[in-house]
Amino acid sequence: MRWFTLFLLTLITLAVLAAPVFILHPFKEETLRGLTVAYALKRWGLLIDLLAIAAAIAVAMRLWSGRWWRKAALSFAVIVMIAASALARFNHFEKMFRPLPQPKYAAAPEAAFVDADDMVMTVAHGAEAAAYPIRQLAYHHIVQDVVGGLSLVVTY
Amino acid sequence: MVDGRTLHFHLNGINNQNFIMRDEETGSWWQQVTGRAIFGPMKGKKLTLVPMDELSFALWKREHPAGRVLRPDPTVKEYESKDWEAHIAKLPLAIHARSKRLPDREIVVGVSLDGEDKAYPMSSVIAQSPVIDTVGRTKIVLLAADDGRSIRAFERGNVELFRNGDKLFDASGTEWDFGGKSAAGAQLRPVPLLKDYWFDWENYHPKTVVYARH
Repeated sequence: MRWFTLFLLTLITLAVLAAPVFILHPFKEETLRGLTVAYALKRWGLLIDLLAIAAAIAVAMRLWSGRWWRKAALSFAVIVMIAASALARFNHFEKMFRPLPQPKYAAAPEAAFVDADDMVMTVAHGAEAAAYPIRQLAYHHIVQDVVGGLSLVVTY
Repeated sequence: MVDGRTLHFHLNGINNQNFIMRDEETGSWWQQVTGRAIFGPMKGKKLTLVPMDELSFALWKREHPAGRVLRPDPTVKEYESKDWEAHIAKLPLAIHARSKRLPDREIVVGVSLDGEDKAYPMSSVIAQSPVIDTVGRTKIVLLAADDGRSIRAFERGNVELFRNGDKLFDASGTEWDFGGKSAAGAQLRPVPLLKDYWFDWENYHPKTVVYARH
């Protein structure tokens, strides 16, 4: 029974890690229900994980006796849970498309990295005008900027 | 900026091939295409769409020689290639357009005015520019630039534009340019455009009308 509980607790942390990755898969249809579950797991995932890990450690301490392989199995379960929880905190989308925390700009005449026929997304506000080359936006997807005093999130 | 607070956004996931961003400050989830918060403390709030253009670099530089351009991030080894749109077009789709009025991956420019949504296939606008039309109660004109890839829309009031060679004129013979400005100094008010794939535009604007030449 205790072994089964430990198994279930491990499954919970694995589900907290895997479910949002599966639900938010790019080439699969998303539904409102799926998104609600993914959001809840991202929002409360850390709390769920910490409770599950605490419970697992308590169970493991009760089972801590006998041969070395028994202790190894218990340690392994707890290590898997801690690893799953750590991985769930990690944003794999930002690994695929690195964010731009400190975007840099060049004056229009010096921007040799853009071709004349490359498309750019552009904003003009007040006395300021900024252009964001689409080929860069198509990778980063998000750029944050202030143009003419206006705080913007530029998305593509 | 929402309710006087500046938020910082991260790429967070994807919803039927339109991405979701998460703000650092409240942890809410925002849909890219609508700018609306769909989950979290900010749910229901909306980011304001700032007037913007999608232009060829040469055209923009001509209009804004003193502007600034986002530099490539040196830590990114490979940005999208020049023909990246052709590669994207080959990726599988998670959803399909409900109606078959246009192919899923047709690129449209969408206009929303007075409660009406209308989609203009990019290729039609480029071929027919100036496109004289009405959305809701607003009379508009869509213009393609001489680079054959930049598009703008304006409220035209009672101005009827037509093309003669590669120049634009109104009925009185006054010349107009791609910036919606006449040689006589009049300036038309820009209309925001959303460039999108047909399947995505239709998903978020289910009642959309599709432009047909009349």
